[in-house]
This record gives sequence, C-alpha cells and structure tokens, in this order.
Amino acid sequence: MTRPRLLTVAAIAVAVMLPLVVKSDLTLTILVFSFLLAMLAVSFNLIFGFTGQLSMFHAAAYGIGAYATHIGMRDLGLAFWPAVGFAMALVTVLSAIIGTICFRFRLKAFYFAVVTLAFAEMARLVAANWHGVTNGTLGLTLTAKPSIGWPGHAIAIDNTLAWYYLSLTALAMTIVVCSRCVHSWMGRCFVAIRLNDALGDALGIDIFRYKLLSFCIANAIAAIAGALYAHFLGYVDPSFLSVDQSLAIVAMVLLGGKGRVAAPVVGAIFLTLLPHLIHFNAEVRAIIYGSILILVILLLPKGIVGTAAEWSRRRHA
Amino acid sequence: MLEVEHLTKRFGGLTAVADVSFAIAQGEIVAVFGPNGSGKTTLLSMIAGVLAPTAGMIRYRGTSLVGLPPNRVVALGIAKTFQNPQLFEELTVVEHLRIAGHLMLKRRLGWRRLLTLFGGATDGERTVDARADRVVALCRLDRARDTIAADLSYGQEKMLGVAMALMCEPELLLLDEPASGLGHGEVTELERVLRDLRDQGTTLCIIDHQVKFLGRLADRAISLQHGAKIADGPPQDVLSRPEVIAAYLGASHAADTAA
Ligand SMILES: Nc1ncnc2c1ncn2[C@@H]1O[C@H](COP(=O)(O)OP(=O)(O)OP(=O)(O)O)[C@@H](O)[C@H]1O
Ligand SMILES: [Mg+2]
Repeated sequence: MTRPRLLTVAAIAVAVMLPLVVKSDLTLTILVFSFLLAMLAVSFNLIFGFTGQLSMFHAAAYGIGAYATHIGMRDLGLAFWPAVGFAMALVTVLSAIIGTICFRFRLKAFYFAVVTLAFAEMARLVAANWHGVTNGTLGLTLTAKPSIGWPGHAIAIDNTLAWYYLSLTALAMTIVVCSRCVHSWMGRCFVAIRLNDALGDALGIDIFRYKLLSFCIANAIAAIAGALYAHFLGYVDPSFLSVDQSLAIVAMVLLGGKGRVAAPVVGAIFLTLLPHLIHFNAEVRAIIYGSILILVILLLPKGIVGTAAEWSRRRHA
Repeated sequence: MLEVEHLTKRFGGLTAVADVSFAIAQGEIVAVFGPNGSGKTTLLSMIAGVLAPTAGMIRYRGTSLVGLPPNRVVALGIAKTFQNPQLFEELTVVEHLRIAGHLMLKRRLGWRRLLTLFGGATDGERTVDARADRVVALCRLDRARDTIAADLSYGQEKMLGVAMALMCEPELLLLDEPASGLGHGEVTELERVLRDLRDQGTTLCIIDHQVKFLGRLADRAISLQHGAKIADGPPQDVLSRPEVIAAYLGASHAADTAA
C-alpha cells in the first residue's frame, strides 16, 4: 500500500473506533461539528483549490441548504432526505444562475469574489427579512431529526453517537465524490482552468462549462452540509450565510492545504477544536486563534497537509 | 480546406492585419513570414478564435469560424501553438498531455465519459495514454516525461507546445514560430517532426523568421508586411522577390539604426 493510502485507512479506522474510547458527549459533539464543517471545506476546495475561483457564495449555499431543508419539510410536507434533495436542487439552480452571470462576464479573482459576495449578502438579507418564512434574525428552531434505513426499519438519528456516524459517513462520501471528480477528465479541466485558462481553451476545454460545473457541485455539497449542521444544532439563523462563515471556510482550506482532496479536513478539525482547547476568556482566545491562523498561513503556504507530505517525501527520498 | 477572405484586424488606430486573403489546401505546408510586427501572430490568432476579426471571413471545410471561441475551433480540427510557450507551470509533461487529451476522450467516449467517474469505460483513458506515449516519442520528450514544466529547457517547452497540439488530433496545425530560440540541433529535430506529421497527412501552417528552415520545408509561402499580404507562391519565388527582400532588409536596417 502507498503511504497516503495507508494514512487514509488509518484515519478512517481511528475515526470509526474513536467513540469506543471517547465517551464524552461534548467531545463527540465537537467532532460532529468539525466533520460537517470539514465536508463544507472539502467541497469548497473543489471550486477554490482545484478550479482556482475564490467563491464567497459557499457559506450562502450552506445556509440556504439549511433553510430550504426545513422549508421543504414544513411547507412542502417532505420527509427529511427528500427535503435535503429539494435544498440541493434549489442551490444548484441558484448556483447555475449566479455562475452563469459571473462566468459569462469572465469575472476573475477579486471581481468574482466581490460579485459572489454580493449575491451571498443578498441571500443573507432575504433570510434576515423574510419573517414569514425564516423568522428573520431570530432564526428557526429545528426539531426534525433524520433517520436512516427503510420505513419500518429506520434508525432515528437522535443521539450524539448516531450523529457522529452519520456525519462521518457524509464526510467520507463527500471525499469519495470529490476525489472521483478530481481524478478524472473533469478534475483535469478544473486544474487547467486554474493554471492557465487560455491554454485550456486552446486545448478544447469549454472554460465556462467546467467553471460552472465546479461551482454547482461544490455548492450542492455545501447545501447538504448546511442541512445536517443546522438539524444537529437544532437551529438556523442568518449568520449561517455570513461573510464570517465564508472566511472561516477559506481559512480551513488554506490551513489544511488546497491541492489535495482531503487536506481541508485537517484544517476544519483544527479550527473547530482550537477554540475548545484554549481555555481563556473570549478576547484572549480570539487573539490566540487569529495569531495561529496568520502564522500557519504565512509559514506553511502549502497548508499543514501539503507541508507534511513534502517533508515526508524529502525524508524518504 | 481553409479559406481566409479580406481578413482585417485593427487595434484602435493600428491595423495589424489588412485585408488578407488566401487559402490552404489539404496536405500542404504553408509558410508565413514577415518582419516583426507584420501581423503574423494576429493572423493565426484570428483563425484559432483567440482574437475576433474586425472584418472578413474565415471558412474551414465550409463552416465559418468567425465568432467561435478557441475550444470550438480546436474541436473542429484546427490546433495552434503559442509564440511564447504557454504551459501549466506545476504539472509534468505527461500531465500536460493528459489534459490536452480532453478532446480525444470526448470524441472516443461521448456520454460514456460519465461512466469513468464510477470506474467504468477505462478504454478511453488508455487510448489517451497510448497516444500520449506516441506523441512523447515523436516529439523527443522521452527523457522529460515526468519533469515539471517549470524545469524544462526553452526548446522542450516549445516541443511540449507542439506535443499538446498533437494530442488534439488536428487536421490543420498552426505553428507560431516553433523554431525561434531553438539551437541548431533542435531545429533539425523539429524539421523531422514536422515532416513526419506531413507524411501522416496533417496540414501545416508555420510562421517563422528562419527563412532557410522554412524554405526547405514549405510547399508554399505567404509574406506579410505591415499586415498586408505582399507575396504568395512557391517559397523560392517568394523569397527572391524584391519587395519581400526589401521588407526584411528594411526591418534589419531599422534594427541597425536603432541599435
Ligand atoms: N493585443 C494587442 N493589442 C494591441 N496591439 C497589438 C496586439 N497584438 C498585436 N498588436 C500589434 O499588432 C501588430 C502585429 O503584431 P503581431 O504580433 O501579429 O506581429 P508578428 O508578425 O507576430 O510579430 P513578431 O514577429 O514580433 O511575432 C504589432 O504592431 C503589435 O504591436
Ligand atoms: Mg508573432
């Protein structure tokens, strides 16, 4: 077995066995949050790390996914998973519209970031002001819990342990889907767009189509992550769609490393655990958190995983 | 095969290509020369869809190319290399060729490309890899196969440009100064590669300054000056015309006085 594969198997084994050792509900809860945020970061890596487009709409897709799942259940009478499907479909359609606008106008780098940010803010304002549907800034309490299995043989996901395995599975599936995309002709098109889109165009790659595809897939996965996160938390409010949330996702990807499918998992877990590991008052904690982030990004431009991989390659070369 | 009629490109007040008309027949090797700034690159860029013509017509096998983006033009069978090598910095030679195999895979598999995402239709990738191997051998890039682009020599960069164009399975290949900046040995290699290509039925249109190199290779030559076509015919004839010599001498005179 190759080293990366060995590490992957080891990581999966540890994650699956962990609840046998860790009994603390609080620890498991934090891990569920970090797995779901990792899912968000891994999907963001598709559009940001591979395709090279700094989307500021990712948190909006996540928040819309959370709201739309609830609305699908409440107003359309759907069950949990069909409602998640509805949320994904809605986010995909919105992404196709926003992506078409941005990519047809060939918005690049900061222009793309600013325009997607404007769309995300629009979505946040709708969530904050459409009281009848979203309950405004007070947010919504979500009591529905998903279940797994067939009618009659369904396991309710109603305790932290069940959520732990559900979120772990969702994260694993996200990694598999993204990895299949990235290690195929599709991923080659994404990388070509990031590295030299004029050359990609000359080689027959429809730049517009593949940018749009990358944007839609990433956002659709973010919608699932949002649906799960909000229903585990039991709550959703407009802050899900905030700029802060988008920046946190960027930080997770930069910290983990952008060139590899699963690297953002490390960044997501690190940044989710960190605030809980530092036992100071809020201001000191914010400063420590910020400093660590800045230092790591300055000192490890390839992220934790990228740097570790390079280091181990050099040691074994 | 390719017809260009009254093609014109203006950049603001500057006319880079002025009312140029010519045709390329299947199997020909056509040379385009002219001094610096005479509009050669602009001409090929318009054919490849990189630049939009200000006026005029470009037809390939009866279909108009005007308004098509580069990816559509190359899908029709016209590939172009860049004067300044365009590469994917951090990727190896083979990875470049796999990306350039995009159209091949699309043509071979069609909708079955979706199956590759689930581990199916592996024959497509194998065909691309097999062609990449042949192209690597043809372009003498064997030893650089796993070298990343940033570490290639200038000659290898140029060859990789040709190799990527070949992965697109072009019927008409447009080469923008493939020989400039190459050493003497490399030029001889390139000439052999281009002859091989012609023998396999690829039509070539080549820009170059090295009049000798193109004189040996080409069936026909077109000469540009200030964006206008000043000669079109067998290379020997074109190169001996007084106006062509004047265009080159004028340019070198200008260079001399500037230096
Ligand atoms: N994108 C552009 N914008 C403005 N002017 C341009 C542009 N591209 C080319 N030109 C001008 O058009 C003229 C023709 O340029 P072109 O690159 O086609 O010449 P060339 O024959 O390829 O020259 P060289 O031998 O130096 O490659 C030049 O005067 C150049 O400055
Ligand atoms: Mg030129």
